[in-house]
Amino acid sequence: MRDIIANMFGTGENIVFILLSVLIISGAVLMISHTRLVQMVVSLAFVFLGLAGIYVLLEAEFVAFVQVLIYAGAVTILMVFGITMTRRDTEETQPHRPWHNALLLIGVLAFFGVLFFSIRRANFPAGEFNPGEDNTMAIGELLFTKHVIPFELLSVLLTVAFIGAIILAKREEE
Amino acid sequence: MNIVISYLLLAAILFCIGLYGALSKKNAVIVLLSIELMLNAVNLNLIAFSKYGVNPSLAGQIFSLFNITVAAAEVAVGVAILISVFRTRNTSDVVDMDTMKR
Amino acid sequence: MESVYSQYAWLILLFPLAAFVLILCVGRQAKTFAAVTGIVGTLASFVVSLLIMFERMGGGAEDYAWKEWVWLSFGETDIAMGFEVNSLTAIMLVVVTFVSLLVNVYSRGYMAEDERIGVFYAYIALFTFSMLGLVLSVNLLQLYIFWELVGVCSFLLIGFWYHKPEAIAAAKKAFIVTRIGDVGLFLGMLLLFWQMPGHSLDFLAITNAFHNGEMPGWVATAAAILIFVGAVGKSGQFPLHTWLPDAMEGPTPISALIHAATMVAAGVFLVARTFDIFLASTAALDTVAYVGGFTALFAATIAIAQNDIKRVLAYSTVSQLGYMMMALGLGTEAGKDASMYHLFTHAFFKALLFLAAGSVIHAIGKQDIREMGGLARSMKTTMWTFAAGTLALAGIVPFGGFWSKDAILAEALHEHPLLFWVGVITAFLTALYMARLFFLVFAGKPRSQYSAHESPAVMTVPLVILAVMAVAGGFAYPWIQGESLAGHLDVTTMALTTAAGVLGIALGWMLYGRPKSSEDVLAARAPWLHRLLQNKYYIDELYDAVFVKTLRTLGYLLHLIDRFIVDGAVRLVAGGSLALGRLGLRLQNGQLQTYGLVSLLGLVILIIAVAGRRYFHVG
Repeated sequence: MRDIIANMFGTGENIVFILLSVLIISGAVLMISHTRLVQMVVSLAFVFLGLAGIYVLLEAEFVAFVQVLIYAGAVTILMVFGITMTRRDTEETQPHRPWHNALLLIGVLAFFGVLFFSIRRANFPAGEFNPGEDNTMAIGELLFTKHVIPFELLSVLLTVAFIGAIILAKREEE
Repeated sequence: MNIVISYLLLAAILFCIGLYGALSKKNAVIVLLSIELMLNAVNLNLIAFSKYGVNPSLAGQIFSLFNITVAAAEVAVGVAILISVFRTRNTSDVVDMDTMKR
Repeated sequence: MESVYSQYAWLILLFPLAAFVLILCVGRQAKTFAAVTGIVGTLASFVVSLLIMFERMGGGAEDYAWKEWVWLSFGETDIAMGFEVNSLTAIMLVVVTFVSLLVNVYSRGYMAEDERIGVFYAYIALFTFSMLGLVLSVNLLQLYIFWELVGVCSFLLIGFWYHKPEAIAAAKKAFIVTRIGDVGLFLGMLLLFWQMPGHSLDFLAITNAFHNGEMPGWVATAAAILIFVGAVGKSGQFPLHTWLPDAMEGPTPISALIHAATMVAAGVFLVARTFDIFLASTAALDTVAYVGGFTALFAATIAIAQNDIKRVLAYSTVSQLGYMMMALGLGTEAGKDASMYHLFTHAFFKALLFLAAGSVIHAIGKQDIREMGGLARSMKTTMWTFAAGTLALAGIVPFGGFWSKDAILAEALHEHPLLFWVGVITAFLTALYMARLFFLVFAGKPRSQYSAHESPAVMTVPLVILAVMAVAGGFAYPWIQGESLAGHLDVTTMALTTAAGVLGIALGWMLYGRPKSSEDVLAARAPWLHRLLQNKYYIDELYDAVFVKTLRTLGYLLHLIDRFIVDGAVRLVAGGSLALGRLGLRLQNGQLQTYGLVSLLGLVILIIAVAGRRYFHVG
């Protein structure tokens, strides 16, 4: 493990990675541990931004851009709307479920342990990655040639979703 | 050891945190938020594999685009349902959202 | 000479059994039918018994035994059932059937107003059958079966008036106390079965084995004492005598039949039947003699202070049975003979006394002698027959009791002088309490309000017949046995017993017979002694404190164990299942997050189990 960390501090890419992961993880933990709803949403926004940075590190610029647009923008605002429209009190009062929470903690830790263990044991042969010069153009080409059917289905899905959302949230006619 | 492992570990951590939040928070909005967190972890996994995986290609990134789209749609519908339920029951507590007879 | 009638001895058993079944079939409404059937059944048995007896008297007809019916067969041992006629059983047959016949006739009058008279006759028929079966038994096992059956009939009849709680209690007491004796008999039977050559329990085989001295000494002593324990229970000897006086709660006819003449004599009969075992062990003989002698004296002292007419007679029965046991314990053929002689005469005069007492009770409805008096005027037949019985019991010449008691005491003088004096003192006390009874009931003026009239003929005729037998029985027995009367006698004993008897009666007349002495003198002079005697030496209270209370406490303890430990364990299991169920209930609470948690935990466990297994296999 020490050599991993030593290796990691070797390149600049690694330093950025470490900074971004600290941001992401602290944002996630803060989200869980805050009590006020709005603080939670703000923490989550930081997580999304951090993730966008990681995507850039992974040479997925278009996805990073979309991430900031959709997640950090639309989803976060939507959540805030949701909070404001459904609140009776701003505090997130912890439910008194000690057994539940304890077991959940154990379960989650065990699950993480399993994931950690399997990730460490796995063998990942390194392949050659050819990203192309323009990420956006490459993605666009692929979308309209190889993956056009899921693309079209996705638009149908979006239509259905927004119609459904409108109907659900509409006030009942007297 | 491969760099991809650190990305995978980061994704695993995010996923577990999101899981914990989804199963232990009382407010329905926070549960939705945690689910979003889990979906983001999945996206990270996909994109990491798209660069460092067995067959590196752009398919991972496209997959994650689709994932983001579906997640957004799901959030919209989810919040709509939540608002509608809040209107009838006047509560946004997941604990109160069951119709079992006592 | 071959005996003709003895082969038909099984008919004697058949008639009462058929009567029982018939009465049962017709039902409880058939009152007259029941009485007639009962009387006819016993009459038929009596006739056959007489025929058998007369045939034997003629000139020594052979003993006859039939044991062809194999009842139980295991390994090489067979246990058969059958019947046997010898001198001992022939006499008992006559006694049992005769008294039973008279009691059947008497009950027609005594129980006439009772609703359940049909059931009564059925029970009496069953009892007669059982008693006769006991007498005719071929081996010890068959005797034990009928022994128990007789106990059951006694229980049924004592508790006949079951709406009286005292009757129920007395029936239970009788059964339980005799049961203690029966355990001894059963153990003796097992011991004999184990030790006898060929595992035979036949009386004939027993006689042969012990007569020839083939059996080891300890077997004889142990078996004899165990068998005697059974006799102690059934014949009401000390210390198992407590049930007999309480058994007086039953109707008087059955007090006469069962608790005077027949069932209680079964103990004496048993010892006589297995006499050879006793002869082989002096320790057993001494036990029998001393227990018998002690009981005779002991019961006589209690009888002086009793106030219930039937209780006095009950203690008298216990005392006389003590005499019979004492005679058997003397260990000679003459002693055994004297014992059977006394059994014979005692059956008649004790049954007579009980039936006469029943006549009194039936007439005036009371049983306490302190409330009686002056019945001589209104119930002449009863008075004369009662007087005959009293004189017989007191042992006055020429009544039957004189000869038989004399035979016993004569033998005792030869073998055990101490017991002879015990017998003489008891004879004095016997005369005393009987005189007290007679004078308090019949003489003087009535001490309370009642109207008395003589009983109907159906009741007085048996009384007269029995009174005749009370006189004649003394002469009848030697005539039956083909011996001379004088052979039993001894001048010294005759003089002493007559003196004791006369003295007793005289004292009784002085204390209770004269007009001015109606109070109980003993109570006035020595109150503590009187209280002791009247309360039967507090033996019942002693048994209650030592045995009954201990067993009750033990039972209560076990009840507590059952309730808290055994039931507690069951409730624990049930509670555990319930708790498990309630735990499962908590999982199904409609909460999505609970379901999610359970799924997560399940997934993790599954992954660990499957992957870990592969890992450990490979590793």
